[in-house]
Amino acid sequence: MPSYKLSYFNLRGFAEVSRLIFAAAGEKYEDVRYERDQWPAHKDEMPLGQMPVLEVDGVKLPQSAAIARFLAKQFHLAGKDNFEQAQVDAVVDTIYDLLKAFIPSRREQDEAKKEELTKKFFGEELPKHLQNLETLGKLYGNGGHFFVGNQLTWADLLFQNFAETFVGMNADCLNNFPWLQKNRAEVEKQPRIAEYLKNRPKTEI
Amino acid sequence: MPSYKLTYFNGRGLGEVSRLIFAAAGQKFEDVRYERDQFPAHKAEMPLGQMPVLEVDGVKLPQSSAIARYLAKEFHLAGKDNFDQAKVDAVVDTVGDSFKGFIPTIFEQDPVKKEEIKKKFFTDDLPKHLQNLETLGKLYGNGGHFFVGNQLTWADLYFYNFAQTYIEAEADCLNNFPWLKQNRAEVEKQPKIAEYLKQRPKTQF
Repeated sequence: MPSYKLSYFNLRGFAEVSRLIFAAAGEKYEDVRYERDQWPAHKDEMPLGQMPVLEVDGVKLPQSAAIARFLAKQFHLAGKDNFEQAQVDAVVDTIYDLLKAFIPSRREQDEAKKEELTKKFFGEELPKHLQNLETLGKLYGNGGHFFVGNQLTWADLLFQNFAETFVGMNADCLNNFPWLQKNRAEVEKQPRIAEYLKNRPKTEI
Repeated sequence: MPSYKLTYFNGRGLGEVSRLIFAAAGQKFEDVRYERDQFPAHKAEMPLGQMPVLEVDGVKLPQSSAIARYLAKEFHLAGKDNFDQAKVDAVVDTVGDSFKGFIPTIFEQDPVKKEEIKKKFFTDDLPKHLQNLETLGKLYGNGGHFFVGNQLTWADLYFYNFAQTYIEAEADCLNNFPWLKQNRAEVEKQPKIAEYLKQRPKTQF
């Protein structure tokens, strides 16, 4: 069994999907969390000066999606064959497209502009991407509640994490998307996930 | 043998890495190319209203990276095991990060602003990403010229394609990055790639 060490900020953010994968698989790992003021001292330890980084038996891997996909494949949460894995990847990329649309409103410093961008995101962009996600879930989900192939994959875990962030900011944002609401509920009631969600550190994002 | 149909614009863009993968593997596929004015008539055929889309025995797959990774795995160009595949994914994501900064230079209409954004990208932004790519190549390349594990993977093809776009905009942009130049030279001289590069349509992007 390899040894795993995941390093990130003390946040959910881009690393949480990997923590969810470890939890769903019941696999142990070292969960290193840095507060923002601790981070500069460790920046040079990271291959690209960024986090998250996964260390597997001492070899470092950057890039949050590459890390998550690797772990999902290790623990059979990536899709049962190459084509299903591709369907999972397509859902994952669609979720990341959604995040790209979200980030400008997070980065904006001017309060009035930030308010405007946030409103535009929740009003126009988020529904478009959520519609795309429902399309893929219905196309690949074999009639079930998970995105691909009637089983839990990291696509479901990734969606759960960012859905939690968006619903935290705008409680009604999934109201018009019953398939996605059901998907999220299905993920959160998996026993190992439910346990993990109960016990993990509470952070805003 | 499955039947493959790739649908994209008549350009390199986000579809070209998949064409390069088919070429490197010597695999046949239907290479459907739409001019910009032809696309609206076909938009509704695409799961997310976007291209590229890969059709495998009639089942459609969107998202350019999911498509490319699927094809690379089918044709043994994705990395020899799960961890090597993760390293390949990390390189691909790092190339993708570099392209995010380039996109504004494409869409800016004002010529003065466009020049300014372009200059900033090539002077400040791109070199950082190129340095990161050299770091990964040296970390994962086992001393060879390819990004991962001393063999051609889709990470090399992915970088090859986006670097071409950068070089077309700024011919000297790889001058301070001999490892990356050597990597591209190595890709270009693979016989099947060399043949493909000679024959493929010459396009604007």
